[in-house]
Amino acid sequence: MPEFSKQLERLEAIVRRLEAEDLDLDEALKLFEEGVERLRVAREQLTQAELKVKKVLEIESPS
Amino acid sequence: MGQSVDLFAAASAEGAWTVSEVTKRAKNVIEAGLPPLWVRGEIAGFKAWRSGHWYFSLRDKSAQIRCVMFAKQNFRLPAPTDGMQVFAFARPSMYEEKGEFQLTVMELLSTDQGGLWKLAFEKAKASLTKDGLLDPARKRRLPLFPRRIAVVTSPDGAALRDIQAVVARRWPIAELIVVPAQVQGAKAEASVCSALNRISRLPVDVLIVARGGGSVEDLWAFNSERVARAVAGMPMPVISAIGHETDVTLCDLVADLRAPTPSAAAEAATPDRAEVLQQFGVLGQRLARALRTASRHVVERLDRTGDRLIRSMDHRLEKSRALLTAHSARLDALSPLKVLARGYAVARDADGNVLKRVAQLPSGKEFRLRVTDGERDARVQ
Repeated sequence: MPEFSKQLERLEAIVRRLEAEDLDLDEALKLFEEGVERLRVAREQLTQAELKVKKVLEIESPS
Repeated sequence: MGQSVDLFAAASAEGAWTVSEVTKRAKNVIEAGLPPLWVRGEIAGFKAWRSGHWYFSLRDKSAQIRCVMFAKQNFRLPAPTDGMQVFAFARPSMYEEKGEFQLTVMELLSTDQGGLWKLAFEKAKASLTKDGLLDPARKRRLPLFPRRIAVVTSPDGAALRDIQAVVARRWPIAELIVVPAQVQGAKAEASVCSALNRISRLPVDVLIVARGGGSVEDLWAFNSERVARAVAGMPMPVISAIGHETDVTLCDLVADLRAPTPSAAAEAATPDRAEVLQQFGVLGQRLARALRTASRHVVERLDRTGDRLIRSMDHRLEKSRALLTAHSARLDALSPLKVLARGYAVARDADGNVLKRVAQLPSGKEFRLRVTDGERDARVQ
């Protein structure tokens, strides 16, 4: 299960760093690749997910 | 006996019915002929027994009926007082031991606005307020991207179907954990509390307590102080969707969010997948643009370096060229051809030796004379 808020936070951090302009090409490319990969995984998870429903039976508690 | 009652026989002493037989028969007739019904009347002679059972009469101007309301039915109600106008949902019956026509009351409502319920509600609300459980500052924010959403509701109700449909459409990446509970009836309070207790020990990001439609009286479980306290004590944010816009329940008040319907609760609990995907799209664009910008900066730096390289080379070349010109001018000035051009001539012998002195030029000596535009053979006279 992806932690979506963390996923998005990381993505935004990547974009911000890339936008900060002081990177050498190698570093920029690495960040870009990571960002693209994260986007791909997240998008895939979102579009292909099917809701899982789990029923937890209540244990009758005498009160 | 055993066959149909013979009226003549019944009238005779031998064929007389016993009291029990009559009350039994009357009970059967009453119960078969009068199904449970709502009765309106005024409370009189109210008495609460230690067992918890209530005994009173319902009366109007011309009649009265004995009533009993058992503890199982009344435990959630504050006691009514004599003279109070009420609606009672009751089963007409016969109290055989006393031969009394009687109503077994299952529900009791005051005809005043809210009536008994309002009293009970206000009492519980005051108690919750005293403990700070209704403080707006207690309200927690709902998680942005929930992974596990728990639902406490009736397992076969429309509420669950609605919630499931909305979550499946908006945020199917989540897991829906359904904890079935009785949401109405005498066991509802205990059932809901036990379901809540169960969920409090599960890793759940947000909880929906839901109940679709139903009458106001059916909401009582969600007006129970016990349920309200259980909701307030949940470790995760709770959305309450008890299904009545007009009647706020205690459960609604303590919940972190109150939703008008189960569907609305499910919407509040989830982000919209389409919007998140759009957000991803924007991030992707920013990513690409940022990379383009980053690479352009690198290229620009490269260009700048190249320019400097070329400029410095140019500079050097320029200097060399100037030097060369200077040298060639000097060389040019020194050239013997220049001297010849001014009218001087060079005499050389056959071996190319330059003849500079008279001694080298005896009479008859043959030599070559170099002038500016060529050579000639010559002889000394």
